[in-house]
Amino acid sequence: MNSKERLKATLAHQQGSRIVIDFGSAPVTGIHVLMLEKLRDYYGLEKRPVKVTEPYQMLGEVDEELRELLCVDVIGLLSRTTIFGFENKNWKEFRTFWGQEVLVPGDFMTTLDERGDLLIYPEGDPSVSPSAKMPASGFFFDAIIRQDPFNEENPSIEDNLEEFKPVTDKDLSYWAEQIRVHGSTGKGLVANFGGTALGDIALVPATFLKHPKGIRDIQEWYMSSLTRPDFLKEIFDRQSDVAVENLKKLYAVVGDAIDVVYMCGNDFGTQQSTFCDPDTFREIYLPYYRKMNDWIHSHTTWKTFKHSCGAVETLISSFIDAGFDILNPVQINATGMDPEYLKRKYGDQLVFWGGGVDTQKVLAFGTPGEVSDQVRRMCGIFSKNGGFVFNTVHNIQANVPVENVVAMIDTLKKINGEA
Amino acid sequence: MMNSDFLERIAYCVEYGKVSLQSPYPPDMKGQDGADEITRKALDEGTAPGLILSEGLVKGMERIGVKFRAKQVFVPHVLMSAKAMNTAMEHLKPYFLSGAVQRKGTVLIGTVAGDLHDIGKNIVAMMIEGGGWEVINLGVDVKDEELIEEINKHPGCIVALSALLTTTMVNMENTVRKIKINNPNTRIMIGGAPVTREFCDEIGADFYSPDPQGVVEYLKTII
Ligand code: B12
Repeated sequence: MNSKERLKATLAHQQGSRIVIDFGSAPVTGIHVLMLEKLRDYYGLEKRPVKVTEPYQMLGEVDEELRELLCVDVIGLLSRTTIFGFENKNWKEFRTFWGQEVLVPGDFMTTLDERGDLLIYPEGDPSVSPSAKMPASGFFFDAIIRQDPFNEENPSIEDNLEEFKPVTDKDLSYWAEQIRVHGSTGKGLVANFGGTALGDIALVPATFLKHPKGIRDIQEWYMSSLTRPDFLKEIFDRQSDVAVENLKKLYAVVGDAIDVVYMCGNDFGTQQSTFCDPDTFREIYLPYYRKMNDWIHSHTTWKTFKHSCGAVETLISSFIDAGFDILNPVQINATGMDPEYLKRKYGDQLVFWGGGVDTQKVLAFGTPGEVSDQVRRMCGIFSKNGGFVFNTVHNIQANVPVENVVAMIDTLKKINGEA
Repeated sequence: MMNSDFLERIAYCVEYGKVSLQSPYPPDMKGQDGADEITRKALDEGTAPGLILSEGLVKGMERIGVKFRAKQVFVPHVLMSAKAMNTAMEHLKPYFLSGAVQRKGTVLIGTVAGDLHDIGKNIVAMMIEGGGWEVINLGVDVKDEELIEEINKHPGCIVALSALLTTTMVNMENTVRKIKINNPNTRIMIGGAPVTREFCDEIGADFYSPDPQGVVEYLKTII
């Protein structure tokens, strides 16, 4: 079996002889550029700047060379434009605060503010106000909230729909090209089409828009779930209509060449609890997720991928009812997220994509031995009867000791009988 | 209306996030006065502003804090409660400024350098304010120099630091060390998703709590 076949089998909940591995297929399963450089050095690869493919979180490209070394089975197909609204092209050199030479897209336009922090501009246009900032001591950007006054009693739906547009011919030819390049690699393919995330708190501030209108403040957005639930439902209803039309066009171009669609990264969990109760989820979100997932399931062979950090055990059955096939990042150290319990209770219906090693304690601060033990234990639990893709709990951060990452990879190779 | 009725109604509005007459939330209080109007009326009819703070706002925030800890309510509810509290606070501002109403002390709060998560930090700030303290919210990515400058401006203040990332826990450690060198008597409370009690002991901070209600209870013990 090749990587793609193994992925298909595990997604179909069939026991495989090897664990399917992902690093870098989605903006939540990636590796920070600094860690990529450390890994390249460790493996003695040619010294050259790593490409920043997801500039917001400064995730780097896991290229073919690294994919082979890390035994990666899946390739992520990025959306045509980044979260800052520009395309990943015309690469240029850039020196980060931590002194790393990286490659960034030509439109990665930045300035320094009076505190010495780095500001970045939507669509690379420095004539508008910056949409995100990287603190001088930070490793990634965060949105700058650009909240203009809005009509509180009767906010405009249109204003919050600006970013959900029909796909263009340019998008479609981009996707055709992606399939041409990656379709016959024998790897599983994860498509990040965009437009299918409902109320993702990372996207609400709209770092890609030059002049965002509507509700763009994170706290106001959270409160809207109580004060104006109908407003949110209307947005999600119309957004999901647009998304289904787009999916139809995209399907006509990519067909069943892709295996998984990255649908939504909205985090419903905190370390100990959730951002809403199951009833609220079922009322405000579920019907619209369902609309998109139902279209996909009745017309394609794609599986749908839902990311939500945190302690979401109480919402998992609702995620399943919403039509999601895959849950990520499976934050195993959050309250109620016991791996054995999750696998027993939901393992027949849900694929766990993540949960391979905890990143808050073990990977970041543990010893290589502890990492290896946990990787073994999690693979043992999650891979039973398929339904598992190995990934760390969320992206691998900049400051993780490289020995720990190597211990994780070596352990995976041993489990897979490759070492 | 009796003072005590006003106070209970204010506490109720804060607990349930009823901001003002116009606010549509919560639906079952539509068309009723909110924290805004009731506080105004209470003051006009002679209720002591200090009582409004301690028996109205603090009570309401405490009730929501307890429910939040018990996971009966979620982040949006706490944000609504805080909004109701803030509207009422506006009416109390003149009394704070004139010194007619004293708060329990000053707490400086911020998310540590390099970290931009602020939802949890803001909730802690709101709950501390709702505990009767003056809160100075320094925002996110707070640099050591800024923090120390503020500490010097507010003698006797307490510091609260939040970190949500393993990559910024080391910044928290450095900040705590610097404060303890420059202002050894300043108490420091820490929290955030990856932070633990052991980490708190290890870096020499004074207090850790996994939830904001714990902070409010701790603060009660130190005055
Ligand atoms: C919402 C969220 C975001 C939002 C933040 C929006 C904002 N303005 O704050 C967005 C989407 C932008 C975001 C971005 C990122 N995030 Co984030 N995020 C979260 C998430 C899902 C919830 C955090 C939250 O708001 N919780 C709700 C509040 C109410 O809870 P809280 O913050 O924990 O605070 C409570 C307590 O901790 C305590 N507390 C907090 N502060 C204090 C202070 C004191 C003094 C005390 C006593 C108590 C206390 O009381 C609070 C109220 O109950 C967590 C998941 C998690 N497990 O926590 C990840 C999480 C924190 N994020 C994570 C990461 C990695 C990131 C990114 C780096 C992305 C990336 N993958 O590379 C970026 C970078 C952001 C940045 N530049 O700093 C990781 C961190 C992992 C790690 N290694 O440390 C987490 C744990 C997700 C995960 N599963 O791995 N994130």
